[in-house]
Amino acid sequence: MNAQMAPPTTQEWDLKPESEYRFELDLGAALAIKLVRGKAEIFGAELVPGKIYLFGFECKAAVFTWRGCTIEMSQPSTEYVSEETSMKAYGNLHIALEKMRVRSLLTLTGSSLTPGEPPSNARPSESPRVLVIGPANSGKTTLCKILTNYCVRAGQGWSPILVNIDPNDGGWAAPGALSAAAVHDPIHTYSAATPLGSAATTAPMSLNSNTLFPLVYWYGHADAKRNPQLMERLVRNIGENMDERFDKKAEAKASGCIVDSPALFSSGPAATTEVRQRLIKACVDAFKINIILVVGQEKLSAEMKKIYSKQLTVIKVPKSGGVVDLDSSFRERVHSHQIHTYMYGTNIRPPPGIPTNSIFIAGEPNSDLILSPASTTIGFNELSIFRIGTEAMAPASALPIGAKRVVSEMQPISVDASLPGSGLLNRVLAIMAPFNPDENERYDEEILDLTVEGFIVVTAIDQKAKRLTILKPNRGPVSGKTAIVGTFEWQDE
Amino acid sequence: MSLYSQTYYGQPSYGGPSYTAPVPQSGYQYQYSQQSSHPPPMPHTPPHPVFIDPATFRRDYSGRLDQLQFNSRPIIQGLSFYAQEYSRYADVVAQCLDSHIRKVPPWMKLPAFYLLDAISKNVYEPYARVFASFVIPLFLDTYRTVDDNTRSKMDEMLITWRTGSPNGKELFGLGPQMAIERGIWGDQAVRITLPPLIRSAHLFQGPGQITKPQVMSELNFALQAKERAIQVNHDDISAKHHIQVLLQLRNLVEAGVSQEELGQILTQLRSLVRPPTIQAPSAPPQPQWSSSQFTPLLAPNTYPPPTAPYPTTYPALPQVKAEALAPSLLVASAPEAQNAQLNITSILSSLMKSGLVSAPPTDTDVTKAEPAEQEPEEDAKPAAPTTEDLNAIKEAQSDYRKRILAEKMEASLVEYSIDDPTVAIPDFLYDYLSLQCQQCGIRYPDTTLGKRRLEDHLDLHFRQNRKLSQNPGRGHDRSWFISVEDWVHEPCDSQGVPRPVKIKAVHEKVSTTVERAENKVDPGSQYITVPPGDEAKPLSCPICKETLQVEFLEDEEEWVWRNAVKKDDRIYHATCHAEATVSTSNLVTRLKCEMGNGSRGTTPEARSTPPFVTVTRSPSRSPSSSPSKLAGIKRKVEHNGSLDPSEADQTPPLKKLALAQS
Repeated sequence: MNAQMAPPTTQEWDLKPESEYRFELDLGAALAIKLVRGKAEIFGAELVPGKIYLFGFECKAAVFTWRGCTIEMSQPSTEYVSEETSMKAYGNLHIALEKMRVRSLLTLTGSSLTPGEPPSNARPSESPRVLVIGPANSGKTTLCKILTNYCVRAGQGWSPILVNIDPNDGGWAAPGALSAAAVHDPIHTYSAATPLGSAATTAPMSLNSNTLFPLVYWYGHADAKRNPQLMERLVRNIGENMDERFDKKAEAKASGCIVDSPALFSSGPAATTEVRQRLIKACVDAFKINIILVVGQEKLSAEMKKIYSKQLTVIKVPKSGGVVDLDSSFRERVHSHQIHTYMYGTNIRPPPGIPTNSIFIAGEPNSDLILSPASTTIGFNELSIFRIGTEAMAPASALPIGAKRVVSEMQPISVDASLPGSGLLNRVLAIMAPFNPDENERYDEEILDLTVEGFIVVTAIDQKAKRLTILKPNRGPVSGKTAIVGTFEWQDE
Repeated sequence: MSLYSQTYYGQPSYGGPSYTAPVPQSGYQYQYSQQSSHPPPMPHTPPHPVFIDPATFRRDYSGRLDQLQFNSRPIIQGLSFYAQEYSRYADVVAQCLDSHIRKVPPWMKLPAFYLLDAISKNVYEPYARVFASFVIPLFLDTYRTVDDNTRSKMDEMLITWRTGSPNGKELFGLGPQMAIERGIWGDQAVRITLPPLIRSAHLFQGPGQITKPQVMSELNFALQAKERAIQVNHDDISAKHHIQVLLQLRNLVEAGVSQEELGQILTQLRSLVRPPTIQAPSAPPQPQWSSSQFTPLLAPNTYPPPTAPYPTTYPALPQVKAEALAPSLLVASAPEAQNAQLNITSILSSLMKSGLVSAPPTDTDVTKAEPAEQEPEEDAKPAAPTTEDLNAIKEAQSDYRKRILAEKMEASLVEYSIDDPTVAIPDFLYDYLSLQCQQCGIRYPDTTLGKRRLEDHLDLHFRQNRKLSQNPGRGHDRSWFISVEDWVHEPCDSQGVPRPVKIKAVHEKVSTTVERAENKVDPGSQYITVPPGDEAKPLSCPICKETLQVEFLEDEEEWVWRNAVKKDDRIYHATCHAEATVSTSNLVTRLKCEMGNGSRGTTPEARSTPPFVTVTRSPSRSPSSSPSKLAGIKRKVEHNGSLDPSEADQTPPLKKLALAQS
């Protein structure tokens, strides 16, 4: 980028205390923001003064300041300053959660703050296990991110587990996945494709939020209604593993968890009421939820209080005025870009006039977030591919031996790539962890409980040679593995 | 330098780092004064302005005694301070302690004895006097009920009592000391116990029955003392020499020597260990003691903090440095002591002549022994701040917790507090943590600890940048996700950096021979036993700054630091250390570094065949192609199957050759 090409078109904004600067980027646009004076944060992640932060891919975010600041930026597509934010409520919420963490840690370690006082006098307390629900486009994910960022910024070594069970969101993996990861460093917002930070790559990163180690399960569809049974099972799987993890270390347990939920949980046609209540119940049980945050919907908040007020705290929190209504085409673009990001990493071209060598992306001083996936071919027989439940009626020959003709929602069905109707081209496949090596421990639907190792995309099918061309994230072998296909498709741009 | 030099009470000099012991069973692990363990904030209440009646005090004190169920320095210290504060109730303390030791199960007795020891030495008056009335039966009764391990600890403690009083005399007086020693080592052993040159007035001479265990325990004790001397002054060649001699002696005693020789050894040993009167203190200083309210009670020369250079106030030591194998330790002491030192060597030589000892300490022996001795050298500095760190961490945590709990906000109130004009969060997020990393914005408190953490954090940036610049040029890629097992066990420290997860055994099977040859011992399987009482203390690897995990090994029945290795007396992750020591020019190492950089790298399968990958890559890479050009470009690997570990054996001969060469 040549600095002389275009004159810098920057602009300064003075933000009053507790106000925020909101921006929305159009497709292909990039924005650079520099904090000139004061202190500012983006969804809870603090900006370092004097550094240029870069935002791209339809990022919609807000620079908030508690005590006022001056920022300088290139021109975004849409921008405005708001003094009406929900940050105070979120801040108070954080303090309340911190109290729970501290109490919980004291309980777990059996210590007390005042020497001499027997630990038993300390009020026994649970760590905060928060479920955030609300309608679509109400800022659920953002609230989860803010609360997580504040938690890790406390300097107490907390590592809350951020759980994403909104398959439409994708978390750290790919859309269609349900995942959970422990977060230690603030999550920076820079692209709509990576709302919650990024999973580990081989590139060295200074922030843990860009090298997360998520636990990933594959649901495979964007819509939580499509297979609620599977959804429920995966949610319970995550919950069980989280419990096991929490039992290892008091600090981890005290940090608690924050669960981001799909919009389905909050509303929908009357016919879905039963489904969503069942799913909420599954979440509450699986994650031992003790706080439900309802974002900006009175009716839902009343409903939750009615059902759960005896066993947990339901808190209605205001919806931020800055949320943007997103249409389904935007969601599709985000899905596509998420898979692209999974494979190729992030590459944001800075706006004209911004030197490329001094920019921060994702809060990383080293802005090399570009990845190199690998393309390869494998024989049809080298990968066992399944689909869960019905999509199209499978031929009898593809059924597991002894299986009934009736296909249930949870049944793994083998997909034969050699058949013209396999529908594998351009599909996103989840490569699953190996089955239990001990034959005796195997069980019928084990495949449903396997975690995901990674995602591949079928980019070509050669029927004559009986080979698939696949794009995979790294050069590790996939041969001999099991894969599950969902309903996501992706084509390299 | 010896333990007998413990003329300054208030200094638990027997608390040397037990891991310096070059021999497994010599651990004099008198742990409540662990070197690496800084006590957390004293869990004792500030001096009570109000008068407490004896009954309340008794209840209170015995209640707190009941918490002393394991060897915990903070608890012992707290109880010790408490006793000092209420020295007017010394009788009550004594009764509580006596009945406590008698009623608890054997495994809980030792910590209580440490408390008794601490109070007697640190407060001394009136406690030592009061305790002297019951210490003999208590010690002897306890000694009979405990196991061998505890007994050896008690032996060691008993030896320190010989010089435990402020004036270097017996802590509880000569009578009780003799009675106890006689009780456990037999009557005659005691006669020879105290060397005539120092205590001849009290003793009659004569050959006696000396037991092997007694000599062994004293030998070990002397060894530990010498090791600490080296730790304080690592140029102390004479002490190193002494260690050689002592080790030889110990082997000798272990092998079995005559009664007369045992007696001789014991006598010489004691004169060797007996400090000259102006001997400098031996143990690593314990700053928390000197800075505590005990200060007025301490001997005039308080010890320097461990980080400080060796104080010039001890004139003896610089001289020691200058002198080679001479008995320089005792330079400032009486000539008899010097003779004693010479004698011990002569005993050895005479024993050697008689064929009991196979060979004199050769050069190889010295070099063998030296690593253990030199360990403390570089470490005296870094280890000690850790001790302070721990304290600071605890304080900082406690401060934060108090502040958070003082906030009135509760989850149930959030909904109703929207209009609350004040919100505390900026205080916590900004003001409370006023140091900021200018690279990524992470904040730390403006304290010594916070500064150090920031430094460590900046080191991390530095390392990351270096790793980035060492990028082999093939670009980066997304790693596979971790397995359920790894996720559940993903360990994290307070800095929040997850430790690189161990490569699973399954994958090690497919490791290339190259890697095998390099690491004969799998670093991941190495471990170090945690000194008792240290299980809960966080210890981080100096290379990756990540916490070492403490695990309980069923087979050893010990708490261990997993994947740990001790080099130069610092404890590293074995894997980190292995990584760091192998030459960086080595391709395998580079790849290993890369995979170890916290990102889980590629799959284990891919990691295990790095040289092979390079072979397949090289033809396709033009020499001029820059990393940036490669980045983001799809890579073509023609036959994925050939990367499959199951086919590794079928690697074409040419590639195998290349593999072996790399």
